[in-house]
Amino acid sequence: MRCAAAAALTLPLILAAGCGRDADVTLYVALDQTHSESLIEQFEEQSGLEVNARFDTEAAKTVGLVSAIIEESSRPRCDVFWNNELAQTVRLAQKGLLEAYDSPSAAGIPAAFKDEDALWTGFAARARILIVNTERIPESADYPKSMWDLLDPKWKGQCAVARPLTGTTLTHFTALRYVLGEAEFKRFIDGLFENEVVLLQSNGATMREVAAGKLAFAFTDTDDYHVALLKGHPVAAVFPDQEEGAPGTMLIPNSVSIIKGAPHPEAARKLVDWVLSEQTEAALAAARSAQIPVRSTVKGPEHESILQIGQFRAMEWDPKVTAENLEKMAAEFAERF
Amino acid sequence: MRRVPYAIALGFCAAFVLLPLLAMLLDSVRSPSGFSLAAYGTILQDATLRGQFLASLELGLVATLLAWLFGFGHAYLTFRTDLPGARWLGPLGILPLVVPPILVAMGFADFADVKGFWSCALLLGLSYAPFVAVLSARGLRSIDGRLYEAGLIARGRGPAERLLARMILPEMLAGCLFAFIFVISEHGVPEFLTVKGKTWHTYAEGVFSLWTRRATGVLHEDLVSPTVASLPLVLLIVLALAIALRLRARSSVRGDQQPLPIRTLGRWRWPALLLPLFYLSGGVGVPVVVMARWAAGSTVVNQPMSIDQVRESFRLAWTEAGGDLRSTLWIGMATTLILLFVALPLARRAARRSGFVELVSVVPLAVPAILLGIGLVHVYNHPLAARAYAHLGDFYDSFGIVACAYAARFLPFGVLPLASAARRLPEHLEEAAALTGRGAAARTFRIYLPLMLPAIWSSACLIFILALRELDLAVVLPAGNGTVVRRLSNVVHFGGENMGGALALCLLLAALLLPILTLLLTGRKLRPLS
Repeated sequence: MRCAAAAALTLPLILAAGCGRDADVTLYVALDQTHSESLIEQFEEQSGLEVNARFDTEAAKTVGLVSAIIEESSRPRCDVFWNNELAQTVRLAQKGLLEAYDSPSAAGIPAAFKDEDALWTGFAARARILIVNTERIPESADYPKSMWDLLDPKWKGQCAVARPLTGTTLTHFTALRYVLGEAEFKRFIDGLFENEVVLLQSNGATMREVAAGKLAFAFTDTDDYHVALLKGHPVAAVFPDQEEGAPGTMLIPNSVSIIKGAPHPEAARKLVDWVLSEQTEAALAAARSAQIPVRSTVKGPEHESILQIGQFRAMEWDPKVTAENLEKMAAEFAERF
Repeated sequence: MRRVPYAIALGFCAAFVLLPLLAMLLDSVRSPSGFSLAAYGTILQDATLRGQFLASLELGLVATLLAWLFGFGHAYLTFRTDLPGARWLGPLGILPLVVPPILVAMGFADFADVKGFWSCALLLGLSYAPFVAVLSARGLRSIDGRLYEAGLIARGRGPAERLLARMILPEMLAGCLFAFIFVISEHGVPEFLTVKGKTWHTYAEGVFSLWTRRATGVLHEDLVSPTVASLPLVLLIVLALAIALRLRARSSVRGDQQPLPIRTLGRWRWPALLLPLFYLSGGVGVPVVVMARWAAGSTVVNQPMSIDQVRESFRLAWTEAGGDLRSTLWIGMATTLILLFVALPLARRAARRSGFVELVSVVPLAVPAILLGIGLVHVYNHPLAARAYAHLGDFYDSFGIVACAYAARFLPFGVLPLASAARRLPEHLEEAAALTGRGAAARTFRIYLPLMLPAIWSSACLIFILALRELDLAVVLPAGNGTVVRRLSNVVHFGGENMGGALALCLLLAALLLPILTLLLTGRKLRPLS
């Protein structure tokens, strides 16, 4: 009987032992854990607040944190959402899940990176660049210069893009659809298939294939490119479409926002102020992710091949239009890719 | 008294399987305008998903065929023949189960150009062959050697071998069906290897990508699309599992039998060694070697691999992910304990009265883990639940919910082997104990559980291993954030292969913890599979 009682008690004890305790502020962060974890520790030291940080996985992409925020909307658990891109954040704003907050730390951030209703603020961006293997293409004069070079028969089967179903590639391709117009965009997509452009599962994969010399060049993000550089691979970066009349290079900022009904609003505002500070943006530029500061007053990444704001022409894209059409385009891309 | 644990187990199933799945099902038919099946019509007519469904079936069949080749081949050669080293190679057949399939894929991709359908089928076949190996070995062990000898004397070797094949067929097919289920549910490896142009994508990949529509979509059809799209897969898997269970029920191990005679391979004795060696080196050797090379710095250009780098990688892994490793071990052990508490009474009932319990227990395995995870979020983050948390602590944001979710997910791996073991127990022992007048609890703890101990320990090892490698539930549930497998998937993506290699090796060592403990504490020799 004693044994039975012990056994019956053990199950609830195991469950109770696992019960968590309330932190001062809960942060959902889509920026890679390796890059963001040490920064969050710095915030904890400076503010004295305990942060319950929840990270995303690269494979899960939006399935992770954005879905969690939506699923939890009846009883929000997250205070602050730090997204490593913008479109999904705008989507959350359009769904009415974000709380307005005009952070004093965002004063120096250009208006193009801020929501007019202060539902989100952009900072520390990644550029959508072409990573080139310098052993396969030794002369810089021969480097591809434009997204249209993916369609050049000279590079047939030698270049890649990530499948535009999630992440920054989905945002990039959806934005391109509205920047180029329907006909030109269709020509671009058709051309990818005609020229046998290799479709990989992520920007990390496109970077790895080019770094290993299996492909000549590919679209990727500057943070993936920087990882290849740090590992000593023979790669170069091209900020594409800089010539007159071309759309320019797409810049995708991180974004931060407070969740509507956040359980710890005061601490959430402190955390957002810290995330948007120049100090954090500089730290992100100096980190492995080599994010490009959106403020010209903040020092950019060390490596000269990662250009600063003002050193290249950025593509003008509308985050709201992109976010509104994300679902429609994702469904269309799922059919083709 | 026996009813109390059974009621607790049923309560657990209701709370962690039935309620979340019911919540998701209701969600799928409850549109803003009321009850609607429109989402089902839209999704089930989707030609892309239909194509992916066929691709999944093709992949499932080919990978299962390969799993049969490796798994059955390994079991047959090590159990039935005079293969050199069979005694040692036999128990190792389960080892590939310790390595998550994505690590096998990453390992092969590191040195070979593995892409597309055939590579995917081969790697998944290797990864899930242990199911076939274990159940085939169990089938071989269940045959009375005297029957084979009788067939041999009466009709010669050919008919005797055919008789043998017929007798092990149920177990072998059950193993193949388990492998098939895991292959068609797998989305990580096909995505990792489907790289050259638009060639093919599996249904599991399609369903996984639909989860993004929950984030971006507005229409009810978009929001519920992953739930609806999961349904054909769930039905297919439930059907396969029902068949597997019926097949397994047809064979049993009896105590009064003789082992099968060992068959001499003759001049094929040494060449036959190639199959188990290929199976084990592909399923375990290659990933382990590649992870060790990563830890030694193989992915950094112009820098030779070194022992110092290995030390640095392990130091980094411990510094940055030591907490995750501890959490993972805690979750693994809690999952194992919870599942054993739940599975033992269910298995006892399944063995004595009804196969229905077994069939119900396999449902969590048929449902995509993400669907179960989001259902759990719906139920345990409900404002009603919040009232309870105010007094009891925040269960939703705790390791407790992760352990319970894992236990629910792996329910069949507790119930099925334990039910099978319970069926083999002679009923007269318990009856004799009952005649002494002792209560049900005493009979359970003094008679039933000691007899079940080997099966309990085997199940515990399997559940522990599966809990360490679960990723999908870890992604959805907040407390799953602190697990090694989730961190590993990120670290490797962002070029941290050094630390990733060390972390993967730590995970593999952790997975072997229980089996190694068994050997150290009991001093038992390695036993044949099953």
